[in-house]
Amino acid sequence: MTDTMISAQKLIKTFPIKKHHAGALGALRGLVDRTPDEQFTAVDNISFEIERGEMVGYIGPNGAGKSTTIKMLTGILVPSSGEATVAGITPWENRKQLARQIGVVFGQRTQLWWDLALIDSLDLLRHMYQVPEKRFRENLDHARELLDLDDFLRTPVRQLSLGQRMRGDLAAALLHDPPILYLDEPTIGLDIVAKARMREFLSALNRDRQVTILLTTHDLADIEHLCKRIIVIDHGQVMYDGGLDALRGRFGGKRHITVDFEQEPDDAIMTLHNGQISVVERTGPRVRIAFDRTAITAPELLARAGRYGSVRDMSIEEPQIEEVIRQMYEGARV
Amino acid sequence: MLRNELAVTLRIMGIRWRGQMAYRASFWMQVVSNFIINTAEVLALFAMFYRFDDLGGWTLAEVAFLHGISMITFSIADTIVVGLNAVPNQIRMGEFDRVLIRPMSSWLQSVVSEVSLRHLGQFSQGLIVFIYAVSNLSIEWSLAKVGVVAMMVIVGFALFSALFTVEAILSFWTVNGVEAVNAFTYGGSTLARFPLHVLERWMRFLFLWMVPVGFVSYYPTLYVLGKEDPLGNPAWFMFLGPLFVLLFCLLIAWGWGQAIRRYRSTGS
Repeated sequence: MTDTMISAQKLIKTFPIKKHHAGALGALRGLVDRTPDEQFTAVDNISFEIERGEMVGYIGPNGAGKSTTIKMLTGILVPSSGEATVAGITPWENRKQLARQIGVVFGQRTQLWWDLALIDSLDLLRHMYQVPEKRFRENLDHARELLDLDDFLRTPVRQLSLGQRMRGDLAAALLHDPPILYLDEPTIGLDIVAKARMREFLSALNRDRQVTILLTTHDLADIEHLCKRIIVIDHGQVMYDGGLDALRGRFGGKRHITVDFEQEPDDAIMTLHNGQISVVERTGPRVRIAFDRTAITAPELLARAGRYGSVRDMSIEEPQIEEVIRQMYEGARV
Repeated sequence: MLRNELAVTLRIMGIRWRGQMAYRASFWMQVVSNFIINTAEVLALFAMFYRFDDLGGWTLAEVAFLHGISMITFSIADTIVVGLNAVPNQIRMGEFDRVLIRPMSSWLQSVVSEVSLRHLGQFSQGLIVFIYAVSNLSIEWSLAKVGVVAMMVIVGFALFSALFTVEAILSFWTVNGVEAVNAFTYGGSTLARFPLHVLERWMRFLFLWMVPVGFVSYYPTLYVLGKEDPLGNPAWFMFLGPLFVLLFCLLIAWGWGQAIRRYRSTGS
């Protein structure tokens, strides 16, 4: 039995590009120019279905069309063509009705009132969403405990740190028990501890309350911790829609490790070269090695490299989303 | 649903009022300075009548009546509906999206994004001028006349709210400020302080038929003061005010809907 919460069907969104006329008379020319504007296709035929209780990562490089898709699914933007159904509602046709079914956290902008204390914002939202007093109390206490809000509940939002504000936004988004949560870069700018806490919170939310979550992020670690399924988009199109493991196995396998030896290592280190390992760079005591992590783990590689010299320090580079997608391009379209 | 939205609107307004009043010294300073600024115009009025005995057959007290009503009406609008002025900036800063995420009218949300309590200065001044006028005029008060005065204020408030909305609507299309609309809001309130028949014909036309400012205050005032209209229009003209303003408001409401539609189509 399917319980589809979010369904996008052949969504297309094109924007007219305002033509820019350079030079002193540019502004005037712009006024009389009657040639049709060029169109930029931000979202090009995107379709996917998300079931209740799924936590899906929606990733892609900057300008891929992530925000535009989310805006269409939250009712902010009207698509150029295509359909969508969220909680049984067409987002752009019933904006206010949909608003009661969704919670939204924009990483870059707050949903809270800037000059009010956090608790006042939450109280206002209670009235706006018509949350019964008792339910509000429960949700508030729950959020206070899990997100540690008590320290800054009475502080004006404009005085909150980024991490505190994000926690406040999360609490606000969930006050009215929406079955669907959209998160746009929720961990951006947060320190490691705050990120871990937020991931734990989202994990529990998805697990215990079956909240359907669509998460947009640049942070691959977010995805790895939270999502079993990811949708990769680039240039407005779906590049991949499936399990994270499969993707990682196929494209995210290549890693780089930089090893600093005490002294320049033995030339024999070049014998590390094989199908899964390659020495990319050698500058004095520093060696950069690319390896397939499905074939060999970092510690194993380090142990092998250690045979050619005494290792002083090392660092591992995480594969960036852009890197994964670039590798996707180099392979066939999935 | 709408009832809840209005309740939330009042709640937000209340919070903002209390917020602004919390800074006691600043609040009083702003109110007083606003009061003083508006004194200049009132003094100009008195100065004019020191020079001339009447203005097109209107005495000082009668013109003061118009002044008072106009100042009261405009200052109420300027206090409450001023949030609409923030819309152009919100769009520029990308903060308008959050309005569309909430289960509440986008217009109401924009209205309550700010309140401007300092215009209570102009309000008190208007009240003083009005009281001065009434105490110096021999008006035969009746329930009907009181009703007409109330109607003037309410209808005037609706009109100015619609005019403020126009500026916000236009900002969805053009990037630059649409200062021209100020000619109708601030200009209109200034002009409404004077009896219409002393205005040039084209101005009368503009402010009577195009933007019904004149209908809101001039004709009802003729009725209250028991004066004849030198322009020769019948007495029931005073009911055209509410009608025209209603139509104007419906037009503006449609305009707002179009603006939102455009925003949701082009994303900015």
